[in-house]
Amino acid sequence: MRILPPRLPVRTVYPIIEAVPAVNRARASAFAAAFVIALAVPAAMAPTAPDLPPMLISRQLAEQEHLHAGDTVTLAQDPRGTRARQFRVAGTYEPTPDPMRFTARRIEARMHLPDLMAIAADPADPAASESLSAINLRLKHPEDAVRFGSALNARAPGLVVRPTVRARDGSDPFAVLERFHVAVATVTVLGSTAFLLALMVMRAEERRETIGIIRLIGISQRSILLEVLVEGMLIAVAGALFGIVLAVATQGLVNHFFQWRYDTALVFVRVTRVIALQSIAVSVPLGILAGLAGSWALLRRDVLALVGR
Amino acid sequence: MTAWGLAWRTIARSPARSVLAVAGVTVIGALLFNMLLLSRGLLVSFRDLLDNAGYDIRVIAAQGSMAHRPPIADATSLAEAIARLPEVESIAMVRTDLGQVSAPGVNAAWTPIELIGMTDSKGGGWTIVKGSPLPTGPSAGEPPVVVNTTLASMLHLEPGSRLRLRLTSAGSASALPLVTVRVIGVGGFAFEASGDLNVATTMAGFAVAHGTPADRQAEMVLVASRPGAAAPALAAIARLRPDVRVLSNDQVMAQFNENAFSYFRQISAVLSSMTLAFAFLLIATLLTMSVNQRLGEVAALRALGFPRRRIAANLLWESALLVGIGGTAAIPVGGVLAIILDRILRQMPGVPARLHFFVFEPRTVVLHAALLALTGAVAALYPIWLATRLPIAATLRREILS
Repeated sequence: MRILPPRLPVRTVYPIIEAVPAVNRARASAFAAAFVIALAVPAAMAPTAPDLPPMLISRQLAEQEHLHAGDTVTLAQDPRGTRARQFRVAGTYEPTPDPMRFTARRIEARMHLPDLMAIAADPADPAASESLSAINLRLKHPEDAVRFGSALNARAPGLVVRPTVRARDGSDPFAVLERFHVAVATVTVLGSTAFLLALMVMRAEERRETIGIIRLIGISQRSILLEVLVEGMLIAVAGALFGIVLAVATQGLVNHFFQWRYDTALVFVRVTRVIALQSIAVSVPLGILAGLAGSWALLRRDVLALVGR
Repeated sequence: MTAWGLAWRTIARSPARSVLAVAGVTVIGALLFNMLLLSRGLLVSFRDLLDNAGYDIRVIAAQGSMAHRPPIADATSLAEAIARLPEVESIAMVRTDLGQVSAPGVNAAWTPIELIGMTDSKGGGWTIVKGSPLPTGPSAGEPPVVVNTTLASMLHLEPGSRLRLRLTSAGSASALPLVTVRVIGVGGFAFEASGDLNVATTMAGFAVAHGTPADRQAEMVLVASRPGAAAPALAAIARLRPDVRVLSNDQVMAQFNENAFSYFRQISAVLSSMTLAFAFLLIATLLTMSVNQRLGEVAALRALGFPRRRIAANLLWESALLVGIGGTAAIPVGGVLAIILDRILRQMPGVPARLHFFVFEPRTVVLHAALLALTGAVAALYPIWLATRLPIAATLRREILS
């Protein structure tokens, strides 16, 4: 059973407004590192102790240290056991997939804020127990995020207030990656078009005599062109559909590979309806045009030349 | 006529088809070339940045990593001990924090910056373009700072300008002092991202900004070993203190290669494989269609006494010509494409401005040629099998009847 008590996320990203008061990165990092070491080295296994404070551990940490719900673990600031405290593992959780940190191993845990403070806060620093890395907020009216941030900054200079939604100026990493993938896709389409044209020219050459005979029978150029158009369209639609089916079939393979490689639940490839429609919208007209271009030269040729006379 | 000559004539007989096929190989080859450049580009470029920074060993706290660096306690003593080692040429200590600066005006806006405390601004990736580097000894009066060129142009700073600085770190004293600092130099930091605003100061200046006495801590100690003494220096430093990690440039590269760069390496591997599969399918289809169109011709040649070997050699040459011409043209086309794709990827926030995703290496050209040659050879196998196993009499009869 997964229990989610009120907690301080050690490393989590929430899709809401985030206000970051003066980040104490050094302290957070030191604690996180000591935390991992404390778990990895002196983790003391003991019988279930329900009176101990509960904590949740990530699936990755549970697997690495072979921990289960009910186990007792000792956390300390450093390997020497400074300010060591015992906790009961209340459950495990799958960390929220974070595309910004998917290469990082999610060795992390969640616990009640006072429990974390008891270990991490420096007793010599009176401000330490009142110091936080970040406060996450959910606004009643998300559209007011910018105004709210400005108002907060005016009241408490030094705060960094930033919305968690993607920047609209195209500067966020995913917009950049999207542009990169679109550029690669465009190059692929250009290469495919050249090959398709070559194949269509060959195909038209193959049917040179047949077209010559059809024209000798009296079938008009317009009818032949229409036939080429319909044929091209059918082939293009079939090709596009096959491509989409192939992409849908292989997306699982790609996702499984990357999810295994990075030990994450993040989805890397998803063939959405929009992407499928975009693929059809690009490939079908290209297929038709390639068919027409391939046959055009043949249709303009003299009918006797087509049959070799 | 040689097999090569026959293949050339076959290709020249259908110029439109051949030009289109070569164009296709060129574009696909260019994409393959790009993916090969991408597979090692970040590594080569980052290695170059590390090596040019002037230090070959980095010391961080044992619990940290290159990305998350908790302070090393009593780093000053550690740095002094390292400097005394005979294998060590020079050292530098580095600390970082977040802050804000403004020009000395009553209503001037505050600009967020990253404050870097360091003992050496001559190396460590800094290039001074105007003014002077940070002093190595103590300096009287306002703390000296070196600002990066982006901040200098944004706030119109010159050596001699003054700035107000305040930190935003919760690790600082609760009543943060407002410190006036003196710009003594303008420079560029090798690892800064486009748009980054950096201010470097001495370790003493860093402590003044924190409103606390110097705490002798540092996030990282950079070490330059004497020529040929990197490995002994690494071992000697590791023996000094058990609570630190000592990393050579190779080990730093291995860490980044394992985590930060692996996505692009794998994406490039996936796209390279797909590109090769695509090229194989298309070349194989083109050659197969070409053979199908010339079955009568092949049967006639066989009937005239052409051995199977020559027919196979002819098709292999045909494939080699298509792939060879297209693959050669793919190098300059791929070069142009790499510049465009590199420009796109370098827009990613946080990426050092001097880091490149696509870096040219001679070995990439060799690998590109080898992969395309292999693809061309494998793609020619089925058409060769088709042509060499042709029943001569039946094919000729069918040709005459049709």
